[in-house]
Amino acid sequence: MKFWEYLLKIDRRVVFLVVGLSVLIPLIFPFYIKTNVMPTTQKLFDTIEEIDPGAQGILIAADYDPQTMPELQPMFIVLLRHSFARRIPVLVMSSYMQGIGLAKQGLDQVAEEFNSRAKTNADSIIYGRDYVFLGFPPLWLAAVLRMGSDISQAFPADYYKNRTASLEMMKRIKNYNDIGIVVSIAGSGIPQSWVTYANTRFGVKVGSGATAVMAPDFYPFLQTGQMSGMIAGLKGASEYEYLVNTKYNLPGPTPATKGMGSQSIAHLTILLLVVIGNIGYFASRRRR
Amino acid sequence: MSHDPWVWIGAFLTIGIFSFLYKENPFYRFCEHLFVGVANGYAIAVTWHLVLTPRLIMPLQGGNYLVLIPMIIGILYFFRFIPRLSWLVRIPIAVALGFSSGVSIPAIIQADVIKQMQGTVVYPHLFANWQQGFWAILIFIGVIATIFFFFFSKEHKGILKPVSYIGIIFIMVGFGASFGYTVMARLSLLIGRLQFLFGIWLGLIK
Repeated sequence: MKFWEYLLKIDRRVVFLVVGLSVLIPLIFPFYIKTNVMPTTQKLFDTIEEIDPGAQGILIAADYDPQTMPELQPMFIVLLRHSFARRIPVLVMSSYMQGIGLAKQGLDQVAEEFNSRAKTNADSIIYGRDYVFLGFPPLWLAAVLRMGSDISQAFPADYYKNRTASLEMMKRIKNYNDIGIVVSIAGSGIPQSWVTYANTRFGVKVGSGATAVMAPDFYPFLQTGQMSGMIAGLKGASEYEYLVNTKYNLPGPTPATKGMGSQSIAHLTILLLVVIGNIGYFASRRRR
Repeated sequence: MSHDPWVWIGAFLTIGIFSFLYKENPFYRFCEHLFVGVANGYAIAVTWHLVLTPRLIMPLQGGNYLVLIPMIIGILYFFRFIPRLSWLVRIPIAVALGFSSGVSIPAIIQADVIKQMQGTVVYPHLFANWQQGFWAILIFIGVIATIFFFFFSKEHKGILKPVSYIGIIFIMVGFGASFGYTVMARLSLLIGRLQFLFGIWLGLIK
């Protein structure tokens, strides 16, 4: 068998193994890669920086499930860390049933991280005062429209079955007028729906945290200004981690940044495999 | 190495799903069926605790009997199982369709058509910055050429031929960008699972 023919007949399991090793080895022996922040990530960061914590809050929609968790959970965590560091009131909801558990896990983790460093009650992150977990709306569209007039009516009870209107934070955050930005973290087209129903109708700013697969779909909305920034994929999450950690000097986990070495080496490996595969294909076709 | 039994269960289920990469096997099928069952059970629990309790039971206990109207409309869905009365299922479907269409059609025209068309128009003020002007013209050419490529009412001859060819180039660049992003996304998922297996489970990643 000629060399090029051999290349075209490599068992796919060998390719899986090579790609797997190219991801695993840089995780075990990590190396640092300089972070270049994309304009879309910077724009979302700047928009959240512009929020006045005394006047407005942020609504983070954890619109994802465990299938996209490795890519999106780091975005959720870093957005919470940014918001809590700025003392911006945080509202969290999820349009995916399976996203509720992930959102609660992230909220508990980041609240505990801040509270472990807090010295006074004012420094602490307290449920109901600094953040509220709204849970899951059964009819997403109806909830999004209702939140334009009254969030407490869209979510009569929070995740913990408290009356939403009775929570301290909700006395000043009534509707989209009191929300600086809605950030939808999703592996689907839901951020686009937030633009359609919340941004176009009520004028609230919308940003997105998107899986890399979905990111190209949202560029038209960034270009028109309908979206105020986007975190695209694990790379975007690492850029945001860099921005937050540089500005606020927060100790804590940076899962996206740790994955960047693997991402780079695996990309190079796949590029190499694509080039070799194409050379093999054209060389064998020429022989025929 | 982790001492948490849940981490061990997660690790074995992850390995079970990954075993499909070698070949189809009973361990993989067990994990797949377990996932489907757990996801359904979870959905039922969430529906009870986060939908029915706060939105139906709690309001009824508080004396708000208006919620009985949507409850009755919702119950009509179950009449599908009674052949003689199955026509009643059209009522909740009509309500859902009517609401969604009424809300969505104007919103989508405004957000996805009008705003996007405005984004394609080249305004003189865009040329205050040459880079911005260049990108605006490129987007304009790309949109027009791509639309021409999908214009099938006339054969692509004459002026239509080079324009639709430019459209193909823009479409191919779009596919390339999407493929690149897809590779990045799939690798990110693998990174997440390997971080779990070799970090949280085996403790090999610091």
